[in-house]
Amino acid sequence: MSRSRPGRIASGAGRIRAWLERNAIRLTALVTAGILAVMLYLPVGVVFVEAVVDEGVPTLGHFAAVLTDPFYFGVLADVFADPLAVGTHLGSLAGWLAAVSISLSLEYPIPGIDVPVPWLAVDTPGVRQGLFGFTAYQAALSTLASVALGLPAAYILANYEFYGRRTLRSLTILPFVLPGIMVAVGFYAMFGRAGTLNGILGVAGLGPFAFIETSPLTIVILAHAFYNAPLVARLTVAAWESVDTRTVETARSLGASERRAFRDIVVPQLAPAVLTGALLTFIFTFMTFPIVLALGGLQLATVEVWIYDRIQRLDYAEAATLAILETILSLGLTYAYLRYESVQSGFSQAPSPPPKEALFPDLRTALSPRRLAICGYGLVALVLFVGPMASLVVGSFTDGTGFTLRNYAFLLERQLEGASFQTLPLPAIRNSLLFGVATLAVAVPMGVVISVLTARTGRSGTIIDTLAMLPLAVSGIVFGIGLLQGLVFGISLPGGWRLQITGAVAIVIAHAVAAYPFVTRNVSPLLSNLDPAMVESARALGASRFRALVDVELPLVANGIVAGAAFAFAISIGEFSSTVILASGSESYTMPVAVERYLGRRSGPAIAMGTLLLLVTAASFVVIDRVGGRYEL
Amino acid sequence: MRRRTFLGAVSGGATLGLAGCLTQDGDDDENGNGNGSGNGNGSGSEETDDNTLTVVTYESMIDGENPAGPWLKEAFEDEHPDAEIEWEQLPSQGINQYIDSASQDRDIEPDVYLGLNIDDLVRVDDNLEDGGLFRELDRDQIERSDRVRDGLDMGDPHDRVLPYDTGYISLVYDESEIDEPETFDDLTASEYEDALLAQNAQTSDPGQAFLLWTIDAFGEDGYLDYWEELAENGVRTLEDWTESYYGAYMEAERPMVVSYSTDQVFASAEGNDLTRHQIAFPNDQGYANPEGMAIFEDASNVGLAYDFFDFVLSNEPQAEIAQRNVQFPAVEDEYVDLDDDFDQYAHVPPEAVTVGYDDLRGNLDEWVDDWAQQMAGH
Amino acid sequence: MTELRLEGVSKRYGTGRDDGAAALQDVDLTVRDGEFFTLVGPSGCGKTTTLRTIAGFEAPSKGVVSFDGESMIGVAPERRDVGVVFQSYGLFPHMTVAENVGYGLQFREPPDGTGVDERVDELLELVDLEGMGGRNPDQLSGGQQQRVALARALAPEPDLLLLDEPMSALDARLRESLRRQLKRIQSTLEITTVYVTHDQDEALALSDRLAVMNDGEIEQIATPRTIYHEPETRFVAEFVGDNNVFDGTVRARDAERTRVDVAGTTFDLPPGVGFDGSAQEQERERISFCVRPADLSRAVDQNRFAVNLETSEFRGESVRAYGQWNDVPIVLQLGEVLESEKDATVTVGFAPEDAHVLNGG
Repeated sequence: MSRSRPGRIASGAGRIRAWLERNAIRLTALVTAGILAVMLYLPVGVVFVEAVVDEGVPTLGHFAAVLTDPFYFGVLADVFADPLAVGTHLGSLAGWLAAVSISLSLEYPIPGIDVPVPWLAVDTPGVRQGLFGFTAYQAALSTLASVALGLPAAYILANYEFYGRRTLRSLTILPFVLPGIMVAVGFYAMFGRAGTLNGILGVAGLGPFAFIETSPLTIVILAHAFYNAPLVARLTVAAWESVDTRTVETARSLGASERRAFRDIVVPQLAPAVLTGALLTFIFTFMTFPIVLALGGLQLATVEVWIYDRIQRLDYAEAATLAILETILSLGLTYAYLRYESVQSGFSQAPSPPPKEALFPDLRTALSPRRLAICGYGLVALVLFVGPMASLVVGSFTDGTGFTLRNYAFLLERQLEGASFQTLPLPAIRNSLLFGVATLAVAVPMGVVISVLTARTGRSGTIIDTLAMLPLAVSGIVFGIGLLQGLVFGISLPGGWRLQITGAVAIVIAHAVAAYPFVTRNVSPLLSNLDPAMVESARALGASRFRALVDVELPLVANGIVAGAAFAFAISIGEFSSTVILASGSESYTMPVAVERYLGRRSGPAIAMGTLLLLVTAASFVVIDRVGGRYEL
Repeated sequence: MRRRTFLGAVSGGATLGLAGCLTQDGDDDENGNGNGSGNGNGSGSEETDDNTLTVVTYESMIDGENPAGPWLKEAFEDEHPDAEIEWEQLPSQGINQYIDSASQDRDIEPDVYLGLNIDDLVRVDDNLEDGGLFRELDRDQIERSDRVRDGLDMGDPHDRVLPYDTGYISLVYDESEIDEPETFDDLTASEYEDALLAQNAQTSDPGQAFLLWTIDAFGEDGYLDYWEELAENGVRTLEDWTESYYGAYMEAERPMVVSYSTDQVFASAEGNDLTRHQIAFPNDQGYANPEGMAIFEDASNVGLAYDFFDFVLSNEPQAEIAQRNVQFPAVEDEYVDLDDDFDQYAHVPPEAVTVGYDDLRGNLDEWVDDWAQQMAGH
Repeated sequence: MTELRLEGVSKRYGTGRDDGAAALQDVDLTVRDGEFFTLVGPSGCGKTTTLRTIAGFEAPSKGVVSFDGESMIGVAPERRDVGVVFQSYGLFPHMTVAENVGYGLQFREPPDGTGVDERVDELLELVDLEGMGGRNPDQLSGGQQQRVALARALAPEPDLLLLDEPMSALDARLRESLRRQLKRIQSTLEITTVYVTHDQDEALALSDRLAVMNDGEIEQIATPRTIYHEPETRFVAEFVGDNNVFDGTVRARDAERTRVDVAGTTFDLPPGVGFDGSAQEQERERISFCVRPADLSRAVDQNRFAVNLETSEFRGESVRAYGQWNDVPIVLQLGEVLESEKDATVTVGFAPEDAHVLNGG
């Protein structure tokens, strides 16, 4: 009987190792569940419960009040107020439709430039969108813009080879780590009337243009794209490089044109990644906060602004109600998307990515329409993505008299002479990097184990997967206040015990909670595309589930893990709202917290710290990329 | 190899996550906010350590550029060799954190709160019992308390707060682009169309101050109409002062911004041309935002707190606070000597207005919310 | 070696599964030591679920799977010592052929002190892939990949070899040669083997015995010969090979024959059929029987009936003709179909002993 054949495992230590190995996935899942319970469900629950409990009595009154308030829900408030009066609602809809008119005219849409453009104007009578309606509207526009600006970047990075491509690809993570205030200041410095762009145009005798004043909404949407187009691009590049080109070649050999093969073969393989990016963008921009107010002002306020305000006024019930509605919407969208993702089957073998073409092999090619379009996009990207960051860096070196080093002198002096109660630059950098690495170490196993548990498990898996996306779907302000109320203040337990979690460990775990969904979203689609026969073969051959994961699945989804890990690291570096709460009173402050603390009546020191944040992040990613070598970040 | 590091990370995370988070009531309640912060030597703050005064304050008092906090600590400790000042960063939730702590009967560690505004007091009293959180001051123990200038009185019926400096909200404008606005009504004239940058009163202190100023000028019943006109004239209300000033105003987006009357002090230090740093006081007013200090009810070291308050109101500290934090002293001119530069660039409005405690009480939240809903107007 | 036994194995799925896995109902079967046993049936019949239950990838809701009398319930797949070859092979694309074949040897030592490399070479030789060890799986043809998968499954000397439609992705010619190779290897190693296929030809050609499955249940377990000639149910009769099935009513019985009425025509069947003594009289009256095409002959003068021919296929040694008789589809195997017989009627008959009565109508 070979079943009783002694394997390699004999010693006691070996037996423990074997037990650990057999139960590794279960243990990781357990730890993940524990972390989520304590660091996510508990804090969020502490706040959410305020929405449905009023002085100890369960109530839906807060929801009724919010849903029927025209300020929040515009015309829908009437529907919520009296959902059964279908006739009345249809009547008002018909009246509205009757008042829509469409007209064709010549317009001059580009300020200052005399180019008439035929303009199809759809004139609709005003509809009161309400705060939620407007928030969704600007999020939808931001999502469109992010996808439109992200896809060309993905196309270029995935299909062309040029000097610095890998570095550029690594650096697309940068917008992710910038604190909102820095993005706002960077956008003003780039697009303001006295900003960099007008300075450059001025050399050519153009302008100055009031880019921001002309349409604050456009600038807000572009700022959202600044954050999210790189996200879309990164997700899409990873998918593009996993495309099996043999399938494209098969299609071509069957007579499909290049365009047709792209549409029929490549697009379906990219769609999940693009849609993931769009979904995340929508959720993020739906819950946007500092950017809309900083660039657009109160006229463009979103739901999150009111959540912040209600928290400030200690009206937790209304804040929680608004936040729950946000979360329901986000999770609903996530569920819909994940259902879609789960029906996208088809097992890929090893990817055979498309070979990369040289971007500018010779002058003739360089002038082809496609290359010119790429150059055009490059210019747009330069203005939109590099511009604000570069303007920020330049701003850190200038004052009213021109070039100055005094902002950096401040940082140096603070580092050398700062008192213990002050915020020092080096500890901030050190903490950020340490927390980033630690976050990665916690978030990657968490994200992977959730992917493993939910891949290919049908509807129930989709529900778990949706709930696992909760960190992205919860208002950051509510999560922060929940951490404060639940963990920093502590929760009373029976027996006079008190559960309190603060400081470095809490920060790392909070970052990991915010970051693991990125690992899951990067890994899950790849994992569910793997042929299940591979894992089952490995297991039949004697590998435990964990060994099969490590030996077979992980190497094959390494691209996704590395991409997710890069996001996790970046999320940790850039995280502000929960860090500042958990770091309060301790020395666990990070770079974004330092930026905030240096912000005073003079913005120079904070901007210099923001520049350091950019440099440290850029250097980390370039170094990881060089060392990691095999995988692209 | 890979597996072992993986397991190590997971189990390590688990043990660390549980360590030091469970405490039993009574054995160590000082962890009220945050783990051992290690500030200075006295971080243990034992019961016997009654010569340490823990002062919580906002970031720019201790952490910005050239802040007054470190100077105050050093000077006070020189004067009181046995005493020690321990600074604590104001938690991100500000006064709310202490209101929550008090309403949930948690201990509050610091002795003194430096940087209290009138609306903080109003929020305290709206959410806790009247006169809560801080103790009523025993003015006899603060010899110099009568040096405080008239008009900076915060109007607290429970006398919990003592002002130590003030700022004035004013308009800052570019004289090469617009003329000085004389009155609030000017701001709604076509001459100032799309000219003004303000801040959101929900998220910004100067924003809220400017809103209260208009409420003072037009009354509870008139301010929304005035803002309607401002909105029609194109006012923009940005998130906070930094965005509106360093973002929009300094990039020449608009010629006028709601800011501080000390603007030129910074502008001249930065080497900027002062044409863009002109101060306007519409209706010949500026809105005063006095900042005060107060002693927490459960402070362990009240005597030392009074010593500190008295010290803060003395000549040199008043000058240092004013010049380092670029605020105005709280005491009458005769009790403080300021540099000529400061006098030249820091402008005082002909008339200082402020909406007092009694008016704010019970009204502030509604005023701001009505205004914000009107301005957002989706 | 190993005897495999399934007793009362049932599998139910909760709602929410959308991968089309079939449920199982009370499956009982025994695979003898060294036997080549095949599970055959249409897709969705539960044959793959049965195989996965044997391998341990699915846990039965009820019933017992045992190897040599030892229950495998609760035993993880990796501790069952089975070798599995999947339809898609499941080769590890990031490992070489040799690494694939050697993968299981890190968990179960090669037999008799053979070195890992040695054992890998041995297996590659067994499947005629000598010298291919250094290649990557995607450099191999489909047939070669299939053989790598087989070699990999056999390398740790499993007690049981399980094959799940291993040939369905290959073309017909390759299948036949692989089929012979597989049969040779299996009988050399004398390894107990369970083979899953939807292809009845394959099932008949390879198996010592086979189980025909339908809708989560086993219809019949027998040798290929018995299955072909003595199908127990209508489903088996129709699924395995071409067959003609008639539904009729018993008219009369005597010592020599049973007279059955089908669509107004009376056929003679052997005596005693459809009578088991226990059933009710009414139930006994309805009866179904089948006759293989080869047993319907123009030369037989019993039980004759006229078939309207519709189409015919040339099969080399014979011609297969398809037609109708009284709305019953009929398949004939004829030596030759004359030009004049096309679109015409052919009269055929069958001997009573060539009719095989089916259970359950």
